[in-house]
Amino acid sequence: MIGVVIRKELLEVRRSPILLLSMASLPATVVAVPIALLAWLVRAAPEQALLFVQDVYGVRESAGVAAGIASVLARNWLPMFLVLPIFLAVLLAAQSIGGERERRTLEPLLATPVSTLSIVAGHMLAAMVPALAITWIAAALFCLGIDAVAGHMLLPDSAWLFGTLALSPLLALFGNATAVVVSSRVLDPRAAQNLAATTVLPLLALLVFQLAGRIALGPRFYFALAAGVAAADVALIAIAVRLFDREKLLTR
Amino acid sequence: MAAIEADALAKSFGGRPACREISFTVERGEVFGLLGPNGAGKTTTLRMLAGLYAPDAGAARVAGYPITPGRPGGPELRARVGLLTESPGFYDRLTARENLMYFARLQKAREPARRCGALLDRFALREHADRPFAELSRGMKQKLAIARALVHDPDVILLDEPTVGLDPEATREVRNVVAQLAADHATIVLCTHHLEEVERLCSRAAFIAGRLVAIHEIRRGSLLRIELAAPFAPDGVRALCHSLRLSGSTLLIEPRAEVPEIVAALVRAGARIAEVAPHRDPLEDAWLQLLAEARER
Repeated sequence: MIGVVIRKELLEVRRSPILLLSMASLPATVVAVPIALLAWLVRAAPEQALLFVQDVYGVRESAGVAAGIASVLARNWLPMFLVLPIFLAVLLAAQSIGGERERRTLEPLLATPVSTLSIVAGHMLAAMVPALAITWIAAALFCLGIDAVAGHMLLPDSAWLFGTLALSPLLALFGNATAVVVSSRVLDPRAAQNLAATTVLPLLALLVFQLAGRIALGPRFYFALAAGVAAADVALIAIAVRLFDREKLLTR
Repeated sequence: MAAIEADALAKSFGGRPACREISFTVERGEVFGLLGPNGAGKTTTLRMLAGLYAPDAGAARVAGYPITPGRPGGPELRARVGLLTESPGFYDRLTARENLMYFARLQKAREPARRCGALLDRFALREHADRPFAELSRGMKQKLAIARALVHDPDVILLDEPTVGLDPEATREVRNVVAQLAADHATIVLCTHHLEEVERLCSRAAFIAGRLVAIHEIRRGSLLRIELAAPFAPDGVRALCHSLRLSGSTLLIEPRAEVPEIVAALVRAGARIAEVAPHRDPLEDAWLQLLAEARER
């Protein structure tokens, strides 16, 4: 039954060009703007200035100044690709239960013999698939762009591989589960979306601190983050299934 | 065994009673009406029977599956019940066929594609099947919702206000669909506040106004009403009637003979007849009286 719910959800996403456009706009910006800026800096900025930037971030690259400045961006921009799966999953998942309620499809859905777990899991996985696919495509394009500017293969390194392949799915699930929990309690899907989207704020804060040169996020941090998010995922899924009470959902 | 047995069902939300003392039985193949004003507890009763709400008190058995306090019907019950919700509730961007197929699969219908095709044909939706749901007319949407309620061939069909918000043409279409189901001996609970729907389609109806007020048996087309233009003693035609009642200038007859024969006999006996018409079941009178009594209590 989970497969039936997922197929329907994905079909709905495919039929919604505005939703697809809004999902694609942030990743496009996250990839295109820094790469374009990097390419311009490498050509236009004085070498002294570029070396100064590398000093600020403590980066030394033997392959040259361009590779050095690309390396700075590569290391610091990873958190943005951890924000993406959460943001995209929230965008879709917040529409799930709240959207079902708003379109009045919730009652006929709940009147079927499908289990609570199947409905929740179906909605979650259906939101995760496009969120992860877009994140991975964006990450691949970003890596290609960085490598092109650097003139040799800088990315993906081990942090990027771990971040995009292991951490992104966990974060997408986190955004998803949060959105399902919130949307099962909040009547307006847009309010649910906004509330759930606040979960990206800690990651954005980390990004800002890292860009400001105040912290340097290393492998240990990403491993710890993965463990914490995995634990949060399990807890949130359990809460989502418990909150998904047929009677409560219909009477709210 | 009856298709539905409800025994003193009661439900409240946040301390406010929605309905109580709801008891009735629905036999297999019967069309049973749930009549009541808005907020009377009809939808709550229907949702309890559909396995969506657990009653606070009382019990029910639907298609052989129990519903008890704190325990709504399980997936087995929901698989045997077809529920038409008050609003059609489909996905706008999916086509009529995709919507129906989705619910057919969720309901684990046998051969869902064939079943959906047959239902689309039955409700004259075949040529609109590949249009997005949002583009269908109100009547088509409601017929699609009825098709969804039937897609898994349920034992019991629960229809919640099937004609609410429809224009006259769509209302007629939907009523004809329900009449077809009744003619096919489907077991139906029809929840409505339209008396004419109950009169036309149901064999019995429960009046609900927060609680069960009464269960009324519907009689159709069995009485003849004759309005007299002048006083008249009808004793001469008694032999042609099962029963005869004179009330003022209105003569109510349960005919034993054909109507023209009775009218001819009355005219021969000296009656001056102003109007002859079939007498509608006095459901409206009964309903208004019961409602007034319920409010007084």
